Parts: sequence; structure tokens; C-alpha cells
Amino acid sequence: MKKNSAFNRIFTALVFLFLYAPILLLIVFSFNKGNSNTVWAGFSLDWYQKLFRDRLIMQSVYTTLLVSLLATAIATAAGTFAAIGFYSLRRRKRAALTTVNNIPMMNADIVTGVAMCLFFVAFFTLWSDFAVWFNGVQHVIELPTRLTLGFGTLLIAHVTFNIPYVILSVSPKLRQMDKNLVDAAMDLGCTWMQAFWKVILPEIKPGIVSGALTAFTMSVDDFIISYFTAGSSSSTLAMTIYGMTKKRVTPEINAISTLLFVTVLLLLVIVNIREARLERRGGQAAVRRRGPLAQRVSRTLSTPKGQWLRRGTAAALAAAFVISVTVLTSATNAQSVVNVCSWGEYIDEELITQFEEETGIIVNYQTAESNEALYSLLKSGAGDYDVIVPSDYMISQLIEEDMLAELDYGNIPNFDLIDQRFKNLPYDPENKYTVPYAWGTVGIIYNTAMVDEPITSWGAMFDTKYAGNVLMFRNSRDAMATALLYLGYSLNTTDEGELREAFQLLADAKKNGVYQSFVMDEIYQKMEGGNAAIGAYYAGDYLTMLENNEDLAFVIPDEGSNWFMDAMCVLKDAPHKEEAEAWINFIASTDANLANMDYIWYASPNEEALEQYPAYYEELYEEELDPAIYEIMAAPQEILDRCESYLVLPPETRMLYNTLWTELGI
Amino acid sequence: MSKELIRLRDLCMAYDNEPVLNNINLYINDKEFLTLLGPSGCGKTTTLRIIGGFVTPTSGDVLFDGVRINDVPPYKRQINTVFQKYALFPHLNVFENIAFGLRMQKRPDPSGPAGKKLVRIPEEEIRERVMEMLEVINLKGFENRKPDSLSGGQQQRVAIARALVNRPKVLLLDEPLGALDLKLRKDMQIELKRIQQQVGITFIYVTHDQEEALTMSDTIVVMDKGSIQQIGTPEDIYNEPKNAFVADFIGESNIIDGIMVRDKCVKMYGREFPCLDGGFGENEPVDVVIRPEDIDIVPVEQGQLVGTVTNVTFKGMQYDIIVDFRGFKWLIQTTDHSPVGARIGIKIDPDGIHVMKKSSYSGMFGDYSSFSEEYDELDDASLALDEEESEDEE
Repeated sequence: MKKNSAFNRIFTALVFLFLYAPILLLIVFSFNKGNSNTVWAGFSLDWYQKLFRDRLIMQSVYTTLLVSLLATAIATAAGTFAAIGFYSLRRRKRAALTTVNNIPMMNADIVTGVAMCLFFVAFFTLWSDFAVWFNGVQHVIELPTRLTLGFGTLLIAHVTFNIPYVILSVSPKLRQMDKNLVDAAMDLGCTWMQAFWKVILPEIKPGIVSGALTAFTMSVDDFIISYFTAGSSSSTLAMTIYGMTKKRVTPEINAISTLLFVTVLLLLVIVNIREARLERRGGQAAVRRRGPLAQRVSRTLSTPKGQWLRRGTAAALAAAFVISVTVLTSATNAQSVVNVCSWGEYIDEELITQFEEETGIIVNYQTAESNEALYSLLKSGAGDYDVIVPSDYMISQLIEEDMLAELDYGNIPNFDLIDQRFKNLPYDPENKYTVPYAWGTVGIIYNTAMVDEPITSWGAMFDTKYAGNVLMFRNSRDAMATALLYLGYSLNTTDEGELREAFQLLADAKKNGVYQSFVMDEIYQKMEGGNAAIGAYYAGDYLTMLENNEDLAFVIPDEGSNWFMDAMCVLKDAPHKEEAEAWINFIASTDANLANMDYIWYASPNEEALEQYPAYYEELYEEELDPAIYEIMAAPQEILDRCESYLVLPPETRMLYNTLWTELGI
Repeated sequence: MSKELIRLRDLCMAYDNEPVLNNINLYINDKEFLTLLGPSGCGKTTTLRIIGGFVTPTSGDVLFDGVRINDVPPYKRQINTVFQKYALFPHLNVFENIAFGLRMQKRPDPSGPAGKKLVRIPEEEIRERVMEMLEVINLKGFENRKPDSLSGGQQQRVAIARALVNRPKVLLLDEPLGALDLKLRKDMQIELKRIQQQVGITFIYVTHDQEEALTMSDTIVVMDKGSIQQIGTPEDIYNEPKNAFVADFIGESNIIDGIMVRDKCVKMYGREFPCLDGGFGENEPVDVVIRPEDIDIVPVEQGQLVGTVTNVTFKGMQYDIIVDFRGFKWLIQTTDHSPVGARIGIKIDPDGIHVMKKSSYSGMFGDYSSFSEEYDELDDASLALDEEESEDEE
């Protein structure tokens, strides 16, 4: 018996340990002085400070709060009336409707999210047809023909998934209520609405408040449904955090997660305390004693004169709410906006603030995972961006598919500052669509503590000697490139035999367990933490990793490599073309390029910036920039000469890539 | 002569095509205490709710002072209701509960020109009228208490005050004493009658308790299966039940098949009994009602009928004995003790015999073969039915 109870206690302790240890660890490291998640460097609130200065996060906090509050208010009102409607039905219909109401709560969020996204997109298509027709037959009202996912759809989605929770929480209160109360109130001279305000509402108020709190918690907490319905211009806190974790979990994320955890915890505690208290009070006849002031106030409020006071206050509050919402939403509407989609950790966010201050244009800054992900986002209609920053080969493809707008270089004088080498590149031979953003090379990153000899060949990526310690690209183009380079073929080959040979090399290595995993930005955590020995990735990212792990080395193998250019383009149907060009011009300036270079460690295409960066660095950090480092960052021309850049592949080759990639089975 | 206040004309009501009321015709006089009496599910509560305006009849008219009020909402009727389980507002104290109706009221400004401007009742007047009501119901000093801190009887009285303070012309009471214990119920019956006489308005009272109905009413309307079975004073209903259902529902009755040989002579068990009734066809089959207290036990040789005692129950004031007359068991109430198995004779005076026309209820009531079980089940059954009814009717 005794042994058994000890076992039980250990088991319980283990369960709780598994449940709470990760959260505890996260909270502890949110106070870490250093930027590691494993090494404690002392207590500090730096990450919290950084958090509150981070405009991306603060903007998504604002979006989250606004959408949660509005959704809660709307869902609470709608849900309460729906619950009353359910209540007035006969038993069988009520049971049926209750089941229907419960299904969305049990339903997987991913299904709800995807379904809503599909529904909205389908509706927008119908709407567009209708609006075109409507604008054609009359000219009094001009309907917008192009609707997009955004704050509106996000709000609708949140209202929708919140309503069932409100109904669930209000219904029991209605059932507990004496059925005759409403009749009694009407008997005594109330209309139905008066009966609702004077009798039903006070009775079910506890249910409404718990329902609203639950709805708010759900809204703040939601990620999946928001992800599918927010479009490109809005981002909730959960979505922003998710975006940030793609690169690596910084203590800043720990800090924001801690705050989110505490907020949701507090809300849950409030809900539970309320419920417990109501249950206790329900049983017995408790005479609540109020303080003299509360008594006086409640007495004043229940007199006819007080009713006016009360109504006035309610009206004032409602008005304040409506006005603030209108002001807030119109503030974002009236101001001009530009929607930008780039890559993670690919801009110095100070630049966004600076741009907004200078021009008054609000920047909605989003990130995509890869060129391929960006492409499918654009194709699905969910990516409603103005400016995108795809890589060279993807740009060719977008131009080919007529998805980009020609730029008015008259609005982009800073284009003149771009190094002649980087103008009229093969992806945009006449340079009509693009302004270069940053460039870099691909190479092998390896941990000198885990690899005994310097790596000089792409062969290392397929060598069983390093089985289980190699990280390969999780996108077909880059992964195939490593193999093609090793075999000595062109990166842009369309020869099926060569491609199949390269594929076989990859497939064999995979079969032989060479690869620990296929990664994109997850490579940061793995390389910095010493969890993998070798990985192919981009030079700029290597430099960021080097800051956190000095054992890492970078090499452009003897076989040569890929060099790439990311350039800013404007989508053909972009609603904010003028603002988009203003943004591009701003980013192309020498100052912006210097700041970006310093932040992202990728080379700038701006000629002045390239020249001035070592001096800029020295001034900023009061130490000389290591020329070897600068060489990795901005490869000299002789290295570039050894490298090849991607060209767009013909459709049949792209098909082959897809087939092979699927066959590889990542 | 009191004047007619409410008339129900050809009233029919159905829920989901299921008839609840069939052709109800009824008039109610001013200042009358009228009781709708019947078992659960008979339609009495529905009738009351139609008068109160909470449900609209499927067909037929409700007239108030000669005006059709079918479509007038509850809050515009000069009628107030005391609900089952009181329906006091839990978030308001006693004072505010009673004042609720007054605060909702608007009336022409007495000081202003005879225009249409409506004003609320001034606070002083509300206070005065509520305190007056608290006096009527003997609950002075309770004005700041919340309903859930009051006893059942006190809540009941607050509910009555809350209705009466509006000075309605009619007060509807829906089984108002159902939730009280027996002793309190008896007190409240007297209290209600007193209040009705004091305020001098019409009470329409719904109950399934025949004793309550007999005690308080001026007029009783017996209902079953959505139809009125009989309307009359308590004495009429008890002494001259119209059919087997009424006879059985009001008090205890032995109901025997008989044949009306001629006026003032009815034949049972092949034997003729003198009675006071007439106006039936010659040799018409009838139901004969004989109340248990109207039967005298006599020596066998003097008896009009002879039977065997099968069961004896001591009831304090009297014995309830069950006597088998050729397979049909009678209930007899007597002060004399007869042992089980004894053969006894009985004698019935002509005024103890009440003859009724055959009806759809014939043969359903009046046999005490399953006496003991029936007694026990009666109360439980009515409670169980009650629950069903309220669920069905909402």
C-alpha cells in the first residue's frame, strides 16, 4: 500500500513536471541577460524592454486586443440573444440546435480556419462579379470590386467561433431562471424588451460575463483560425510569435509568451473564481451587504432619476466605444498603407518606423517562408501584398506569368545608386520590374568542433561519414543545386538525365541516413546549439549564427556555388502602387542599405553602401570589421565569377523537380 | 346583481395541432371568486394564460368588459397574475418587487392640462402604495429583504402584493398554494379569501385541489381534457355532479350502473330504489352516484342491499370500509365498526341518491376494487402529472 502511494506520488509529480516544466523554463529564460535559451547569464528585463520597443509586436498586440474586444462584444450580444432564442424553443428543437452549436467547438480549428478562408475567397469572387455589374448599371454608388482578407474577415471569423462559447455559458443560466419571470414582468407592464433589460439580463448576467471572458480568452489565444483569415494586412500576436520562431526562439519570444501565458492564466482564474463564487451563492440565501457608498449609488440608480443617470452613462460608454472604434479603424483607413511581404529577420525594423514617420504611410510588414510558399500564397489569392521581395528565379517566373507591375522609375530616384553590376540581370533583362534588395551566396556552414578537417567540397553534403549530422535545404531548388554543383552540372540544367543523377545522389544520401533533417530557418537553432555538424545555407545567415556560436565556419566549395539576388517588385493588381514605390525608393537609399546590411548581414546592391560599410561598422562598433567576414558577407567579384545564379526553369523541368521532390518524400 | 366582466366565447387552443382546449364558453362576473378545477393537463392553466394574455387562442374570443382583447399584450391588460412558484424577481428586494408594476406605469398627468402627456407615478405615491400593500399582507418591515431570504408563505404574499398593488380589475392565481405545506395552505386559503373581500376584485383561481376549490370559490368550473364538465356553486358541484368524472373528482363517490324505471325510481342490482331525480326517459340506463357518507349500515334483514366487508381503515373521525356487493366494491364512511368478513345490510335515503345521464366517463370511476392502491397513488400521480404538464405547455 505504502509503496503504491509513493509510486502514485512520483507519477503525479512527473505528470505535472511534463506539463509545467517547459513553461517554467520559458518564463525563467525570458529574464535571461544573454540571448541563449540554455545558458543562464544573469537576470535582466532587457527582453521585456526590447519587446515593448518592437513595433511589429506592439502592432500585433494592438490588432489582437482590438479584434478580441470587438469580437467578444459582438459575440456576447449575438450569443446571448441566440441562447434566449434556443431557450424559448421546445425541447427537441432545442436539443438539436444545442448539438449544432457544440459542433464548431469540437471541430478542429484547422478545418474551421480553412473552411472560413475558402468561404471568404468564394464570397469575394461572387462579390466582385456583383460589384462590377452593379457599378455598370448605376453610377450613384461606387462599390469596391476587390475585397480581400484582412481585419474585417479576421473579426468575422473570431465572432463566429466565439458565439458558441457564449451560448454555452448563457444557456444554463436561462434554464435555472424561473420560466415565469418574463411573464411576470410583462404582466406588470413591461414590453418584451423592457422585461429583457429589467429581469432576464440581471438573472443571466453571470453567464454573460463568463461567456464574454471565455470568448475573449479564446480570441487572444487563437492562432490557426486567425492564420487563415487575417490575410496579409493584419497579424495577431500569436501569428507574429509564430513568424518569429521560424528563425529561432529568442528570449524576446520567451518574454512575449510569458506575458501571453500570464494574461490567459489571469483570465481563466477570474472565470473560475466567478463560477465558484456563483455556485456557492446559488445554494443559500445570502444577503449581500454593500458599503454605504455602493448602497447609495445603487439606490440612486434605481430611482427614476437614477435611471436617466444610468441610461446616460450607458449611452456615453457606448458612444465612446463606437467613436474610439471608428477613429481607430478610420485612422488606419484614412492613412495610406503599404503591404509588404519579405523574409524573416530580413529588415532593420527601425527603418519601418522611420519610413512611417517620414511619409505617414503605414507599413504592414509580413513574412513568408520561402519563394515557393510565397508563390502559392499569391496564386491562392490569400497573399494580398503590394511589395514582395522574391529571389531572382522566382522573379522571372512571376514576370513570365504577368503577375508583376512595371515600375515607374521616375518615382524611384535611388535606383541610380544601385551598382551597375546588379542592374539588368537575367531575371529582368530590361530592368522594368525590379529594384535589388540584397544579395548573397550559398555555402556550407560547419562546426569546427565537430568536423576534423576543413570542408572544401559539396561532397560533404552526401558523405556517410557525417551521417545524422547534416542539414539539407527543405526546398527543391536549393537541395538539387547542392547535388548538381557536386556533379559539376549547371544549376539551371534542363537535362533530365543530369537531374535524375542529382536526385539519385540526394535520395541515396537520405536513405543512408546522412541527413538529420531537411530545414529552412530551423537551421539557426540546430547549428547554434551544436546539434548538427554540417548544413548548407546562406552566407548572411551564417554571420548571424557566428555571433552565437564561434565554432562555426563558412565555405564556398571549390565546385562553385549559387549566388542570388532578392529584389523588390510590385504586384500587378497592388492597390497601393504609389506607396509601394515610395517604400522601394526609401529602402534603396544608401542610409537604409547601410542599416539593413548591418542588421541582416547580407550584401547590399547599393554601390555607396558596399563601399562605405566597413567604415560605417567601425564608427558604430568602434572596432575594425574583419576583412574575412566582409568577404563572406559581400563576396568579391572573383568569387561571384565562380558562382552561378538561378534562372527560371521551363515548365516541364519545374514539373520534374516537383515529381522528384515528392518522390524524395520529405 | 353583479355584472359580467370577462367572457370566453368558443375558445379553442392547440399546441402543434394537439388540441388543449375545446370550445370553452364561460362568463365571469365582477368581484367573483371563480375557480378553474381539474386534473393536470385539463387545460385550466392554458385558459388562465389566455385570459392573462401570455398565449393567444387558436380560435374564439376573449372579451373584457364587452371588448375583444385577444391581441392585447399582457402589459396592456387590467389583469395581474400570481404565478406558480411566485416568480419574484430574485435581484430585487421586497419593496422593489412590489413597486415593479408601479414603476412601469405611465398615466395622464393629473396636474397638467387634459392632454395626452403621460407621466410616471411619483416616488412618494409609490412608497405609500407599497407600504399599504405590505400592511395588507402583514409583511411590514420586510421591505429590504431579498426574496430568497423569505419563507414560502411570505414569498407567496409578496407575489400577491406585487400583483394587487397595480389595482387590477382581475387577479389571476395559478396554483398559488401548490408549493406550501398543508397547514400553511389552510391558513393561506382563508387569507386569500379575506384579501379578495378586502380589495373587492375578481379572482380567477386555478387548482387541482378540490377541497381548496370548495372552500374559497363562489363559482367552480370543473374541467377535463380541454372541456368544461360543469359550472356551478360548490354546493351544486358536490351535490349535483353532472357526470361520473365530476362526481369522482369532487369528493368520494360510488358510481353504480342503474336503470331509471320512471321518475323518482331507479333500479340497481335488480332492485328499485326511491330517489328525487326525474326527467329521464323510461328505462334509460343511467349512472347513480351515492356518496360514502350517505349510506347507513343496518342489520342484514333490514338492508336494501347486503354485502361483505372486505377492508376497514380507521380514519379518526370515521371508518372507511369497503363492502363487496356482488363483485362491485363500495366505499362507505361510518362511525360504527364492522369487522372484515362481516355481512352487513345498507340503507340509502332518497336524497342520498343522485342520478346522472350516461356519459363518456361512465364505467371509468366509482368502483373501489383497487381501493388501497388508489388512495396512495392519488397524490403522487397528480405531482408527476404536474411536471409533465408544465413542460408540455411551455
